[in-house]
Amino acid sequence: MTAFILKRIGFAVITLFAVLTLVFFIVRVLPGDPASVVLGDQASAASIEAMRQKLGLDQPMVFQYLDFLGGVVRGDWGVSMATGRPVVAEVLNVLPYTIELTVAALILGLAFGVPMGIWAAVNRNRIPDYLTRIVSLLGLSAPAFVSAVILLLLFAIQFRWFPVISSGQDTSLGGKLRDLALPAVNLGLIMAAYITRVTRSAMLEVLSQDYVRTARAKGVPNNVVVWRHAFRNSLIPVVTVVGLYLGILIGNSVLTEIVFNRPGLGKLIVGALGQRDYTMLQGMMVIYTFIVVVVNLLTDLVYGLVDPRVQYR
Amino acid sequence: MAPARFGQSELGAVATMAWRATARAFRMNATTSIGAIALLIIVLSALLAPWIAPYDPLEQNILESLQPSSALHWLGTDYYGRDTLSRILYGARLSLLIGLLSILLAVVVGTLIGLVSGYFGGKLDIVIMQVMDVILAFPSLILGLILVAMLGASVTNLILAIAFTAIPAFARIARAPTIALREREFVQAGRALGYSDSRIMFRHLLPNIVPDVLVMASLWMATAVRVEASLAFIGLSVAPPTPTWGGMVREGFENILDSYALALFPSLAVLILVLALNLIGDGLRDAIDPNLRTES
Amino acid sequence: MKNFQLILCTALLAGLLGSTGAHAQGTHLRIAAAGNDLGTLDPHRATATPDIGVVSMIFNGLVRITPGKANPEAVEPDLATSWTSSDDKLSWTFTLRDDVQCHGGGKLTADDVVYSLKRAASKDKSSFFAEYSAFQAVEAVDPKTVKITLSKPVPGLLGLLVPYHGGNIVCKAAAEQAGDGFARKPAGTGPFEFVEYQPQQFVKLKANEAYFRGSPQIKEITYRYILSDASRDLAYQSGEIDLSYGRQDDNWIKRMRQLPNSKVGVFGPGELYNVHLNMTQKPLDDVRVRQAIAHAVQRPALAKYKGQEIAREADSVVPQGYLGHESVGLADYSPDKAKKLLAEAGYPDGVTINAIQTTLPSMMNTMQAVQAQLKASGITLNLAPVDHPTFHSQIRQDLSQVVLYAAARFPVADTYLTQFYESDAIVGKPSAVTNFSHCGVADAEIKAARTETDADKQKALWAEAQRKIVDQVCSVPVFEMLQAWAWKESLDFGYPVEGSLSLIPPVTEKTRFVN
Repeated sequence: MTAFILKRIGFAVITLFAVLTLVFFIVRVLPGDPASVVLGDQASAASIEAMRQKLGLDQPMVFQYLDFLGGVVRGDWGVSMATGRPVVAEVLNVLPYTIELTVAALILGLAFGVPMGIWAAVNRNRIPDYLTRIVSLLGLSAPAFVSAVILLLLFAIQFRWFPVISSGQDTSLGGKLRDLALPAVNLGLIMAAYITRVTRSAMLEVLSQDYVRTARAKGVPNNVVVWRHAFRNSLIPVVTVVGLYLGILIGNSVLTEIVFNRPGLGKLIVGALGQRDYTMLQGMMVIYTFIVVVVNLLTDLVYGLVDPRVQYR
Repeated sequence: MAPARFGQSELGAVATMAWRATARAFRMNATTSIGAIALLIIVLSALLAPWIAPYDPLEQNILESLQPSSALHWLGTDYYGRDTLSRILYGARLSLLIGLLSILLAVVVGTLIGLVSGYFGGKLDIVIMQVMDVILAFPSLILGLILVAMLGASVTNLILAIAFTAIPAFARIARAPTIALREREFVQAGRALGYSDSRIMFRHLLPNIVPDVLVMASLWMATAVRVEASLAFIGLSVAPPTPTWGGMVREGFENILDSYALALFPSLAVLILVLALNLIGDGLRDAIDPNLRTES
Repeated sequence: MKNFQLILCTALLAGLLGSTGAHAQGTHLRIAAAGNDLGTLDPHRATATPDIGVVSMIFNGLVRITPGKANPEAVEPDLATSWTSSDDKLSWTFTLRDDVQCHGGGKLTADDVVYSLKRAASKDKSSFFAEYSAFQAVEAVDPKTVKITLSKPVPGLLGLLVPYHGGNIVCKAAAEQAGDGFARKPAGTGPFEFVEYQPQQFVKLKANEAYFRGSPQIKEITYRYILSDASRDLAYQSGEIDLSYGRQDDNWIKRMRQLPNSKVGVFGPGELYNVHLNMTQKPLDDVRVRQAIAHAVQRPALAKYKGQEIAREADSVVPQGYLGHESVGLADYSPDKAKKLLAEAGYPDGVTINAIQTTLPSMMNTMQAVQAQLKASGITLNLAPVDHPTFHSQIRQDLSQVVLYAAARFPVADTYLTQFYESDAIVGKPSAVTNFSHCGVADAEIKAARTETDADKQKALWAEAQRKIVDQVCSVPVFEMLQAWAWKESLDFGYPVEGSLSLIPPVTEKTRFVN
């Protein structure tokens, strides 16, 4: 068992290392030059070269790479080439916005997705099922920027209920909620669509299990079967899938953040890309990779504990 | 997972199964047919664009900039005075092309990786799947963004970038059944008969994976179309003046206070195509997934 | 169905929270600039339009151009109360005000000015060092007096001392303490001082209560970065922005004029949109091909397409209104002449040229329209779209045969000619700036004009340089674009807005909201 865990951790470290190396070189293959972005369009070639030296970009690639690896090991993610502040500080700066948005979207998604999924499953192949199916597919199909633009035009311009710039500067609770409302609804729509579908299929699977049939056969009332037996058991896959889809949520949040002028991780990446901020891009990708590898490791270990069929080799 | 069939390990069976599943999907579900009809219409308009488009999609008439809908221009004109309807019809070609080719590439490469990884197992498997998981974990849009910025925006590069983001999904979907089937009698029998690994993988395992891959492909094609549109919205799309739907939505959004129609119609086009693909994928999945079939 | 529920839910939520838009108005000015993020606030580095806008509120120069004007001849005192020069124009003495406070404390003295001008002339710390190359010595005679000694006469010297680029005076203590961090923590003497910066969101400024011209009426400024034109317009329209950077076309101007309680300002200096042709590459190395391109571009139509109010047809390689601009007359539009010239050059079937093109909407728009016009004369222009940073890096590596570049510079012919048409500025050289065409046909005139103290002779030299460059078609000027901003009617700048070097209406101590 211990050997298994150690082995797994070993693999995780190797993967992490491989991905970091890849990230380092990918970022540097990007055309464009951070030095000239920092200096603007009237800088002479000489001053751009001087800036490259200052940023360490004139060093041989191998040195830059070793420097980068050393930094990662020490937990030093470097200083953003564009803003001159530590990458960690920049990430922590926008992280609360991303968490707020993600949690709000998740709550909206669960609040609408779970009941709709159950409703559809219970009414399998009847009108409610078709309705939810089409609506949820619509939610999945609408590109995030389309729904964002519609929400913006309707609720910020036409009705003026919510601000166009959702930057979260208003720190009162009311102000925060107002800022959060439109972006959260926009992401929540997508989340709700996913959750509806997952809930539906999880419910269908549980409803077809023998013990549910037995319960029904024994004359247990239908709503008791649905809520006490089926719903509880279908929650596990729902929760798992929700976790998996967090990545998708963050991806879609880029478009949401752009349209609603809201800070966040996605916008940070896009901005760093625009400025060719190598250290920032690296840092962000390292963070993503790290999270993924750790989550995978934990999943592996947990599955190992839960499912006796998995052998510890 | 569809049960493995002993006598059907020939490649010809692939097509048979795919057809059966498709036919079943359409029998089962009206919504699938709606999706198929919508897709058919879009494909036809893309193919017939040169004959049915009322104008040259590239012809600028800057004095007729931003016209509303009229008898001359059914959906109005854009900032350059180009006919919106014609551009949407031609734009369908690019969306379909990128969606189809990128996913085709991802299917081939991803399935191969999944087959090999699952069939041989061991350390190779662990490392490959870890890397796949990491790629998969990056939101496709952000990964696509970085890749397109790196490679430069062109049709080929968009296809490559989108394919890259989709490969892990197919590797995973191909790997799971491979691992399950690897220990089954018909594979063991093949080994005993001295068949080569590649023969076992391609002639015996592959056909069993096809249905799952097919479902995944139609769902991912929807994602591909959406990602392409999103990239174009952020500003990374193919060379102008080639019309793309995402690029049109972007231009439309920049002019949205002058005319909402400019953003609306290409948005609808994206929505309908993605929805159609999702409906078809959904129908196929229901037809293939035994869990969901139990009650019907 | 689900959408409907959500709408209902948000509606309820909105009702509970009350309506927005009731921001305290009166002393808080909210500005929206067209950019994704801040580049730098170091005044000796800042060149991007959104950057120099904020910088202009934080710093002063020894002298300044009257706020609301962009005419380099309208010079008036700023930090210096008076100045004298020796007869040979090589020695200049400036007397400073003694009531100037640096942001964050400390009185501004001659030491700060000396430090700042030396910084502006330093290769490592300034993007504009070349303009100060004639500065032999800058000394503090006493705390109130600064003496500048030149190695050769600089006719436009005062232009180098206005609060623009290198002429912005930084406070020594703050700059030395911040080091490289000065770009994110600038300190000057201007009416507003830096408070905070949030990446990709905004820069916050507050009133400098100790400002020597009096305490500013505006107490707080939020300077937001909103790249998308539509988002900026929406935010302005919903009342979240008071002063908003516009889109440079007439549709925008018309639409914004129709809004209630809103004003639109259109002012110079103009940004010249210029198509630079790489004279060292086939087929553009043949002057006939370049002439053909000049004849194939229909300037009036392009200017009209951008809008008669915002754009004016270019008539030289230096923008109109710049000191030394000469209307030299450009090639007329004639596809026939273009085709004939191409045939003479040995291309009867037309030519194909390739350009790397930024996806920035205003630039992309223009290039696509040019593309369509060239087509009519048998010239195929292939565009390779790249994002803006890639564009800037690749055109400097000489990778594009044709470069569309839009720029406003200090409104004197010299800056334009030096940066775009002098051999030293050719891309690829260590001294490179933005000479994409490899043009070097007027080096002698440009150099001579730089030190010519007789104003008439200087203008004649500049005119000759422009004529030579147009004859050789180093570039095809298209149109000049003015600046357009929208602001609330209640916002009063305290000066008529006729022009602005920093390309933003003058936000000064006098700016206020009136009821």
